[in-house]
Amino acid sequence: MDVLEDRDRWNAEYRHGWLAHFQQTGELDWDRYHRPTNKEVPAGPGLDLRAARLVLISTAGGYLKEHQEPFEAAHPLGDYSLRIFPTSTTFDQIAFAHEHYDHRAVNEDPEVLLPLRHLEQMHAEGEIGCLSDAVISLMGYQPDVTRVLDETIPAVISTASDMHADAALLVPS
Amino acid sequence: MEGIASTLTSWNAGITRLTGPPRATFTKLPRGSTLGQPHDKGQQRRVVRKTLGLLREEAPLEPIRLDES
Repeated sequence: MDVLEDRDRWNAEYRHGWLAHFQQTGELDWDRYHRPTNKEVPAGPGLDLRAARLVLISTAGGYLKEHQEPFEAAHPLGDYSLRIFPTSTTFDQIAFAHEHYDHRAVNEDPEVLLPLRHLEQMHAEGEIGCLSDAVISLMGYQPDVTRVLDETIPAVISTASDMHADAALLVPS
Repeated sequence: MEGIASTLTSWNAGITRLTGPPRATFTKLPRGSTLGQPHDKGQQRRVVRKTLGLLREEAPLEPIRLDES
């Protein structure tokens, strides 16, 4: 099952529409942007989370401010890279590089987007079998879906597999 | 996701539904506060717990609307 049905049509609409307009004028015209759409939904078995290893995937743009480069939050064509940091990271070590949401809430309480301490507590209480060693962090402004398909998703899957994750929680910004 | 059961929560049901997620909760929380209001640990935990709870179910599931704002 393809992650994006009719990828070729989406790609053609993107390149001849939204992207071409930007390249010609420097303007971002969201009326020209076609949201990715699927008719089919992937199937899969459920699992007992009490016996599973869970990975958190965040699109809030979080990164380790002392040790990692920030995402290119201002780039009009997006940033498709990952940052990986320990699930045990304290919030004073994390900054957020993402220009497409209001940061007041996350600056006041990072757990509105990164539930690290919630997940630790749920693990301690036996609701989650195991937490993966690291969080997979993205910057959610990624207008080129083909780059998401070809770059971001394979990197996320590879990282989650390397961490032996059985389950994933995605928290978008 | 390649043998990894996945679930998500979103404040933007309209856009998220279009992509066909296998398991999802939808809220009316504001953008930038996906799991709950700042310092409302009870709300944040409810959203996380209900979203993770979907993992025990076989996908695909109809998205669940949570009364959280």
